[in-house]
Amino acid sequence: MCGAAGLPTMGRMVDSGTTAALATEGLTRRYGRRVALADCTLRVPPGRVVGLVGPNGAGKSTLLQLACGLIAPTSGSVRVLGARPGTRLARVGFVAQDTPVYATLSVADHLRLGARLNPAWDAAFAARRVEALGLDLRQRAGRLSGGQRAQLALTVAAAKRPELLILDEPVAALDPLAREGFLRTLIESVTELGATAVLSSHLLSDVERVCDHLVVLAGGRVQLAGDVTVLLDAHHRVPSPPPGADVVHGAVVRGPLPAGTGAGPVQLEELVLAYLHRGTGRGTR
Amino acid sequence: MTWLAWRQLRAQLLVTGVALAVLAAYLVVLGIELRDGHHDAVASCGDACGPALRSLQSRYQGRVQLLDALLVVTPALLGMFWGAPLVARELETGTHRLVWNQSVSRHRWLAVRLAVVCAAAAAVTGLFSLLLTWAASPYDAIAADRFTALLFGTRNVVPVAYTCCAVVLGALMGLVLRRTVPAMALTALLFAAVQIAVPTAVRPHLVAPVHGSQAMTADTIRNLSFLGDQADVEGLRAPDIWVVSNSRLLTADGRTVDLDRYHGCLSGQFDAMAQCLAALDLHVDVAYQPGERYWRFQWLESLLFLGAGLALAGLAMWRIRAA
Repeated sequence: MCGAAGLPTMGRMVDSGTTAALATEGLTRRYGRRVALADCTLRVPPGRVVGLVGPNGAGKSTLLQLACGLIAPTSGSVRVLGARPGTRLARVGFVAQDTPVYATLSVADHLRLGARLNPAWDAAFAARRVEALGLDLRQRAGRLSGGQRAQLALTVAAAKRPELLILDEPVAALDPLAREGFLRTLIESVTELGATAVLSSHLLSDVERVCDHLVVLAGGRVQLAGDVTVLLDAHHRVPSPPPGADVVHGAVVRGPLPAGTGAGPVQLEELVLAYLHRGTGRGTR
Repeated sequence: MTWLAWRQLRAQLLVTGVALAVLAAYLVVLGIELRDGHHDAVASCGDACGPALRSLQSRYQGRVQLLDALLVVTPALLGMFWGAPLVARELETGTHRLVWNQSVSRHRWLAVRLAVVCAAAAAVTGLFSLLLTWAASPYDAIAADRFTALLFGTRNVVPVAYTCCAVVLGALMGLVLRRTVPAMALTALLFAAVQIAVPTAVRPHLVAPVHGSQAMTADTIRNLSFLGDQADVEGLRAPDIWVVSNSRLLTADGRTVDLDRYHGCLSGQFDAMAQCLAALDLHVDVAYQPGERYWRFQWLESLLFLGAGLALAGLAMWRIRAA
């Protein structure tokens, strides 16, 4: 629930001087009467690998599609690398949900497509990636496995050398092995490009493995945002929270460690779940 | 971007190219045959060539009319199969999310794709029309009716303009409906409506028609297609001109023929009827487009359809921003 006061958006102080990779202000998107994203104010600092987590229907896809200009906001504003979405096409790479590729075009055709449509196309990078993945250049994209297709889509998005790489549930449909391979490629690519990546997922384990910044979305609202280390430092697990403690949900407590309560560190998954529980409870009321 | 537009059109272009090659070969053969037939008919008939030429015409009528019909539907077919999937297919398969996130704006993407598909479709129809116009020219010279509603749209330049308009219409329908098959159906429906509405409601008024009067000789009456109860007639024709509208049968003083005398003539043999009516010294007032306006009409109607195509393209450009 970005927007309303009192909710933590941690790690903000660290980056206040630089241009945000992604910044939204009161961003709202409705589909008819259904609110997909409500009054979202968010600031994603550059240089991070950001995990956008939340249950299905939380508004993750909506936020990312707004960010790359595929859809327009109902109200509020969104800035990507300091500009309106869709105006910095060359600097933003996007891997859409279900990683669409042209079924009748070959792998080589996709690389040529990237080269023709992007002035900053890095052909050597693309060739290296395709080689490392073992993709056959003459293979039609429609014949690739789900994992290979996702890798191809990622290669096309990354070889244009974007400053911001947005990925919408890229691994949701993949088996564990393909998922692992994809995430490894992602980290290698982001490291090589020095880019910011925003990755949405409903799989916490994936996010935990690759992300150093977290945004929790539930019920169309942002529940929690911040650098992972900062968030973990600021929350604790208290088996029986004393009265007056800032309880997020269950045993997860926010704020300074209360003395002598048997408090301990909180796991990331537990923390995220606590905020999701709180968020969906708020959303259904 | 041009490369991608060609690459995405390649499969359809190959299929259409093969069909067009077969059709072109047939048209060349037909054109040569018609010319030979015409040469033979003229060589042997001396001064009275009418019957020989009419027999040549009736011999080829079926084939030429079939080809005319094929050229009439070609723009709508290209609009359906090349235009409608242009955006709708991307939206259906989700590939718009891939291609609209390259460094090319979606306006430029649409402009280039429309231009390439229009150019290819115009070349297909243009070649077909060119060959048909050439092949059928001896036939058309005998029929002398190139200004009529059906034939006007199947010769020379207008088919090319129809095609550009149909392709852009298809693309716009795909963009609005977001699904290929409904977009194809609506494109066919709308373009069919346009192709009926334009010859009947728009074309006659592109230039104000000339008014004149036509004496009803026995020959003229024999060539009519319809004689009504109220002395109304249809099917009035004269070589090369296009009759837009005509009055009822009038007597010399400009009044409608006396219906009793008219009906008195209608009984009996067709030939006797024509003689009987001719003896009444009748005429009709005619509004018509003279034959020398043919090319003016070709260019005017081409401009009309190209303008409509541009307007539709503008609408698609505006619409794709929010797609």
